Amino acid sequence: MAYRLGVDVGGTFTDLLLVHEETGDLSRVKTPSTPADPSQGVLTSVKRVLKQRQVSLKDVSHFMHGTTVATNAVLESKGARVGLLTTAGFKQVLHLARSQTPGPLAGWIIMVKPDPPAALEDTREVQERMSAQGDVVRALDGDQVREIVQDLVDSGVESLTVSLINSFASSAHEREIKKIIQELHPDFPVTLSSDVLPEIREYERTLTACMNSYVRPKVEGYLSNLEGSLGDLGLEGEINILRSDAGLMTTGLAKENPIYAILSGPAGGVAGALHVAGRAGYSDLLTFDMGGTSTDVALCQNGQPTIARETKLGYFRVKVPSVNVHSVGAGGGSIAHVPEITGALRVGPQSAGADPGPACYGKGGTDPTVTDANVVVGHLPPQLLGGEMKLDPEAATKVMQPIGDALGLDVHQAAQGILDIVNENMAGALRVVSVQRGYDPRDFALVAFGGAGPMHANAVARLIGSFPVIVPPSPGLLCASGDLVADFRDEFARTLIRRVDSVSSEELLKILEELGEEAKDWMKREGIAKDRQVYSFNVDMRYYRQGYEIPVDITAEELTASGTDFLAEKFNQIHEQFYGFQMAETPCEIVNLRAVGVGKVPVPQLPESAVEGPDSSPAVVDEQRVYFQGDWIETKVYDRAQLRPGNQIQGPAIVTEFDSTTVILSGHAAEIDRYLNILINPE
Amino acid sequence: MKDVKIAEIPDIDVDPVTLDIIEGGLKNARFEMDAVLFRTAMSPVIREQHDEFPMLTDPRGRMVVGQFGSYISEMMDSFDQTVKPGDVILTSDPYHCGGAISHINDWLVLVPIFYENELVGWSSMFGHQMDAGGPLPGSLPTGAKTIFGEGIRIPPIKIFNQGEAEENIIKLILNNVRMPEMNRADLLAIVAGCRAGEKRVLELCKRFGKDLYLAGCQALLDRTYKAMSSLIQQNIPEQPVSFEDWIDDDGLGHGPYKMKLTMWRKGDHAYFDWSGTDPQAVGPVNFYLNEGMFKMFIGVYLIMIFDPQILFNDGFYPLLHVIIPDGSLLHPRFPSALGCRTHALTRLFDVLGGALARGAPEFSTAAGYGTSPYMLYSGWDRKGDFFYVMEISYGGIPGRPIGDGMDGHSWWPLFENIPTEYLEAYYPLRVDGYTTVTDSGGAGFHRGGNGIEKRYVYLEPGEISIHDDRWLTYPWGILGGKPGMRSEKILVRQDGTQERLPSKCDEVRVEPGDMLIYRTAGGGGWKDPLDRPVETVEADVAKGLVSPEKAQQDYGVVVGDQKASQQLRDKIRAERDEGELFDFGPSLDEILARCQETTGLPAPVAPVPLPWAPMESAEEARKRVLTQDDR
Repeated sequence: MAYRLGVDVGGTFTDLLLVHEETGDLSRVKTPSTPADPSQGVLTSVKRVLKQRQVSLKDVSHFMHGTTVATNAVLESKGARVGLLTTAGFKQVLHLARSQTPGPLAGWIIMVKPDPPAALEDTREVQERMSAQGDVVRALDGDQVREIVQDLVDSGVESLTVSLINSFASSAHEREIKKIIQELHPDFPVTLSSDVLPEIREYERTLTACMNSYVRPKVEGYLSNLEGSLGDLGLEGEINILRSDAGLMTTGLAKENPIYAILSGPAGGVAGALHVAGRAGYSDLLTFDMGGTSTDVALCQNGQPTIARETKLGYFRVKVPSVNVHSVGAGGGSIAHVPEITGALRVGPQSAGADPGPACYGKGGTDPTVTDANVVVGHLPPQLLGGEMKLDPEAATKVMQPIGDALGLDVHQAAQGILDIVNENMAGALRVVSVQRGYDPRDFALVAFGGAGPMHANAVARLIGSFPVIVPPSPGLLCASGDLVADFRDEFARTLIRRVDSVSSEELLKILEELGEEAKDWMKREGIAKDRQVYSFNVDMRYYRQGYEIPVDITAEELTASGTDFLAEKFNQIHEQFYGFQMAETPCEIVNLRAVGVGKVPVPQLPESAVEGPDSSPAVVDEQRVYFQGDWIETKVYDRAQLRPGNQIQGPAIVTEFDSTTVILSGHAAEIDRYLNILINPE
Repeated sequence: MKDVKIAEIPDIDVDPVTLDIIEGGLKNARFEMDAVLFRTAMSPVIREQHDEFPMLTDPRGRMVVGQFGSYISEMMDSFDQTVKPGDVILTSDPYHCGGAISHINDWLVLVPIFYENELVGWSSMFGHQMDAGGPLPGSLPTGAKTIFGEGIRIPPIKIFNQGEAEENIIKLILNNVRMPEMNRADLLAIVAGCRAGEKRVLELCKRFGKDLYLAGCQALLDRTYKAMSSLIQQNIPEQPVSFEDWIDDDGLGHGPYKMKLTMWRKGDHAYFDWSGTDPQAVGPVNFYLNEGMFKMFIGVYLIMIFDPQILFNDGFYPLLHVIIPDGSLLHPRFPSALGCRTHALTRLFDVLGGALARGAPEFSTAAGYGTSPYMLYSGWDRKGDFFYVMEISYGGIPGRPIGDGMDGHSWWPLFENIPTEYLEAYYPLRVDGYTTVTDSGGAGFHRGGNGIEKRYVYLEPGEISIHDDRWLTYPWGILGGKPGMRSEKILVRQDGTQERLPSKCDEVRVEPGDMLIYRTAGGGGWKDPLDRPVETVEADVAKGLVSPEKAQQDYGVVVGDQKASQQLRDKIRAERDEGELFDFGPSLDEILARCQETTGLPAPVAPVPLPWAPMESAEEARKRVLTQDDR
């Protein structure tokens, strides 16, 4: 039992890493994903890597998995038929949503509102009512519940959600209903809103709970298949799933609460980036994951990801703890165009997707994309080293011509313009997660990955001043390596809406300790050894009557020593940092209390090499004229596989490897570190 | 404005890519202003419902990005002080800013942006304050006859002087409102939002150099001018077309009030003439319409279809000419009451849409629920603490070319409802139900959205106010679509007795256990309901959004019987008359005659012009505006 497997299933590729827990010996496999049944792609790559290394599955102790099964079910509207039970009078909670229509003015004219995860036809009202203080206003009518549950199940719903008004204050009625459902149909999947999200705001809680029900049968089926097939192949170790907040959970929990894994993919990238940057000596970083259709960015500080309470899933805002990834709909496949009416150069939001893809792929694409622009200026060499695809620069130039014509520029200027605009958008996304939250991006390193990240990272870093740029080896596989290094994580929360000046620290401590016990129980159940159990507390706070909370980390010691005053003080400071002002005379309010349990997983020793000399010339494989901001410059092309630790590269330069290309701009220099990362800095 | 060095806008070329980058930077700045405000404001109206508006301008005060047109040049013309870095100006008086804000609840903040001691622009925002003093909580008394009866009126004054807060002035203002803490928080939040915008503009100046940045702003204004020029020629007819619609009453028993718009084009200049609109009202339903704001509304409608990514700005203003007679409902004379202008503000869009539909019916929508309905509730709870809540409600979105109108959604962008759990956690009320009104959406090939039904049960003695409209006239349907249902308010007392409440009222006493049933209007339908697929109608019935009776009557659908549906549809088609472009429901005469019978409320009486506020003639108004625009 000495190996660990990390598998990330993405839209296009399934990436797998096998690592020996003690020696750090590492193998990688990349196979095409199999969207119809993603477990097929996983099994193919598992078999391939086992054969390659002559290892048996019996020797694998941990199987760590990032999956997009849940995400895709939502994005492709292919989830289960969900039955919803609401409080009488609130049947249309999802139908009305928050009543919002998009901007600008008149945005409603073109608004397309997708169907909610539970249809109005499949929603029933329960005769009951709780007050916002958790008192029973109207008792639950069990007979009526039996009737509507039977009716819903008979009508063919596949999954049930119970979400009652004020269940954040008391979940008694929801639990009673669950009991009734289980009596009637013991194995029917039921999600309680107070389990998934015990927080105030009925629409968000109902939506999140219904989303859970919506993806649950699909995820359950997928994980059961996978467990079965891997078991047949001899796997005895555990399968763990990466949560959206970059922690791990067992398959048992993932089957019940799959919504917690809704951002599993991007979370793997952030976990991987943290690991890579941490080893390179950087604990404050911005992650930059640029793919074909979208780009994900996130901010991490002190080696920890920032966790958001809410994440956007297509049209829907789902409230689950997630790495605070900001996503923009721009990537290598984004299409450039010049609307006649304004003569402006626009990039995206339309994308050429994977098929036909950019024109340079030679698969019939006729729209000028960002990738085509990279080919035209020579940042992306037409023959990728070890790459399976050969690019067609002529096709790229041809589709770039109309853009140039419309702007009165030559094709190279037009291509450079497209890159400038995309880079600016990316920098804008990074500003959202840093500057807008009160952080200075110049204090952060930039970790670039994804197919296109390393090509744009240097230019983007120059705009926001985030150096060094860290490009890990095999940037396309970073998500899978994130799966390998994640820890177990779960949260236990309770809503307690109270002004800080009307609550005692003893009262808070008591609740926090209870939540802490829940966290410990969970870790015990998960079989996490005592010496690997860690838990911490945080409190969501705001000024009295504000609508948005900010999580404030606290310890039991701080609370005991300084009382609740210190909570207010700490909140004031954070408010000042985020928004530039504080209102010390206004009372603060507590909204939620939370314990976060973390079960540490021993990190495998990944390879490290001895530093050699600075001479990188043995890795030079070509020299080309490349266009940089209006000038053609003779530029060396390097083979990444031949670069050794300690090697230095003078920009401008291009480094190619099998799944990615790194561009180093003039005025910058790169160095290879002991872990084979490329570190780019301004000179 | 005195002794301020206003930056010159240099006449230099900006390359297209730099221009697009400046555009993106300004757009991001505007959304950052919003984000800062939402997260820090305290009143649910700004925070949950997003009743606020940001803007960034060039040195001359022209809006380069934002949602409303700019008002700054007019305001600064009459500002008799100097302006320095770190200053923050506040105003809440519509009569001091040409109607840029249209009632005293909107507190408008201006932050001058100085780069190397030159004024390079303004960052500005306004937000709706839950209370601004005056006789009633909410500062929107439905019985006000002048602006002095509404609340505190703040002329443009500095509340920060070179970074130092003018605490005495702030104290004076806050002493006049019911919840000073909330107003202070919202005011600081608006200032923080403006500061975020200021910061981004300074960054752009630093990065590109002041001259390139300013030339970029000019180029963005020019770009919109060019785009608008061709849109006007494509969409505005040369021959004048007119459309008229009504707001129902003024809260004091007068009404309905006509709003009439005539538009035409000459070359690439378009003319929008509100002559024919009724004289101003006695009650507070007057809407002091800023011409620039109206130009922006038109621009947004037209531009959105062709390049939705474009930056809305003031660049096209010289191409549009807006004529509004002084002394009319849309240009009331000082000191008319303005608090409840939301009905006329909303109707303006119905009228604009109707006028544009005369030229391009296929691209047009029906009418919606037609206002921003409010419910206000205040009193002292049993602990003796004052409570006050105001909620904006929504209704039926009109049937649209792209599909059905949404049920119970907001026609104004980005507004949201207040969660029931939030209302119940903070205020002494319980929401007995929050749903949509079955059948209230007008029938159509694309159905109009249903209005909202919200049932409030009050738990403490107090007083409520209601602001709504479209209780008398109907939200019209278009191209064969039927009108939506009207709004209504029913107060059910604890003992079961029921009373109809007017759509505009104040100081209605409520006791614990009383329930208000608040129903807003539906949206009109789009195109012939008999062409709506039978299965779509049946799905609406299954969802409870349309009743089987209405399915039969308006859609010719007998639920579950395909054959009977076909026969019924054929029969209705054979018997009905050729329809008009618009379906307004019964004639106004008939509506008024049957008012008591159908609504339970007396019909409003015809308004009489106010002797102290004579209305300018159409000719005079035209002459005034066109002479002014020539300059």
